[in-house]
Amino acid sequence: MNLWRAPLPSLLAVLTIGLSLFLGASFILGVFAARALLTSWGAQASVTLYLDRSTTDEQARTLAQTVRVENPSLQVTYVDRTMALQRLRGDLGDLAGALEGLSQNPLPPSLELSPRTALQPSGVRMLAARLEQLPSVQEVDYGREWLDKLEALGNGLRVFGTGALAIVLGAALLVVANTIRLAVYARRDEIEIMKLVGATDGYVRAPFLLEGALQGLLGAALALGAVEAVRRWLLPPASHAFAFASGAVAPHLLPVHAAALLGIGTLVGLFGSWLAVARFLRA
Amino acid sequence: MIQLFHVKKAYPGDAPVLDDITLRVEKGEFVWLTGPSGAGKSTLLKLLFCAESPTSGQILIGGRNIGRIGQGSIPYLRRNIGVVFQDFKLLDNRTILENVGYALEVLGASDGEIRERSLKRLAQVGLDHRATSLPRRLSGGEQQRVAIARALVNEPTILLADEPTGNLDPGLTDSILKLLFDANARGTTVVVATHDRTLLSRYRKRTVALDKGKLVSDA
Ligand SMILES: Nc1ncnc2c1ncn2[C@@H]1O[C@H](COP(=O)(O)OP(=O)(O)OP(=O)(O)O)[C@@H](O)[C@H]1O
Ligand SMILES: [Mg+2]
Repeated sequence: MNLWRAPLPSLLAVLTIGLSLFLGASFILGVFAARALLTSWGAQASVTLYLDRSTTDEQARTLAQTVRVENPSLQVTYVDRTMALQRLRGDLGDLAGALEGLSQNPLPPSLELSPRTALQPSGVRMLAARLEQLPSVQEVDYGREWLDKLEALGNGLRVFGTGALAIVLGAALLVVANTIRLAVYARRDEIEIMKLVGATDGYVRAPFLLEGALQGLLGAALALGAVEAVRRWLLPPASHAFAFASGAVAPHLLPVHAAALLGIGTLVGLFGSWLAVARFLRA
Repeated sequence: MIQLFHVKKAYPGDAPVLDDITLRVEKGEFVWLTGPSGAGKSTLLKLLFCAESPTSGQILIGGRNIGRIGQGSIPYLRRNIGVVFQDFKLLDNRTILENVGYALEVLGASDGEIRERSLKRLAQVGLDHRATSLPRRLSGGEQQRVAIARALVNEPTILLADEPTGNLDPGLTDSILKLLFDANARGTTVVVATHDRTLLSRYRKRTVALDKGKLVSDA
């Protein structure tokens, strides 16, 4: 096989595939991590139901119970008007004196909901729409604009990630195709004779496909090793430096992901060499 | 065995290389294909082993219309046709025995069968004692004998030779031609392209002459 006969171009191909797949994989992991981070921020945004000011304590407690039963994943806290005013006083601190002039409590009672598990922005939105329908709920506050921005950012990352991945895989494909084309060219006399004595296209193609697949597989293995190395040794010190990212889930590769990466590498190698040989066989 | 009907071959922009060739070669025949340089001899042979396809006209080999068979069937057609060239076309990095066996290897024959049949063919061309040599250690005449052994190892029904003695000393010509006549005597249909007129008079056989792509005589 050419891998042993012409080790340098093959090695370069393996390295380039490795680099491409490494970039692609890091990118995907980055996008995953960023999305996870966004989701965790989204989950922290709690939902507040402001109730009609005329709502009695009993009505509010019944409502809270209803919400609890219908949404077991939510933690529901009832904040009555007195408590709301106390909180405001506490928040205002020294300025609390300004409240003394009020003849009556202007604050409405509210239910504070916080999801026990992370919710996607779209989930929060749906929840808010549902709660708005409940009787005596006057307003639902869930940080709509904040969520919209998070969601747009998440979608943007996904589109960008897909595009970048396509480019990187395309580059890897071209590199394999080119290396195999060189290998085919180096063996053109042999191929001519093979075809002359009646070898099928499949017979001529097989060793090159094998070689391309092997290059892809080795490249993917290299990329996998590099991703693991970065995750183990490079990322921990870096995440200390960026405190804001400390909430992010450390990106990690599941066995499925590793297998997918190896599979993609092999497929890219196969397809690249197929392209190279097809061109030659047609001529 | 070989039939051509109004075959024309033209490359874009040039006068036709072959023009309205109608020809019939019977099973077991020996045919000289002659004519001056550029007459279209090599092109005609290429059409027969499907290295080129005709611009128009029909070609039948063993009753099969080769214009109608798909690209995928060409290898199977070629297994029935042995081809010998002026420049031998041997693989430099393989031994003589491996070169002959190559034609069987691509068909998926077993190692034992490849070895046995290759050695038998090499003995037939008188080179079995050089089986483990590389081609470059052999003389031109010997290399051509290896190429003929390779063309015949698969026992094809047709043998095509394009100037098989063109690169060789005149003294070696007879021994090469004898191998082709031997194959013909065993029943193989043989077509040999040559522009060497002395061969034609020395070995009187059916002679098809081309000139500027036209069939000018057949006797
Ligand atoms: N691929 C090609 N493209 C264009 N013209 C070609 C091609 N192959 C052959 N020709 C032309 O076809 C003509 C016939 O060529 P061919 O090789 O068949 O002649 P020939 O009779 O075998 O000659 P020679 O005795 O020199 O071998 C030549 O004029 C050649 O230039
Ligand atoms: Mg010629």
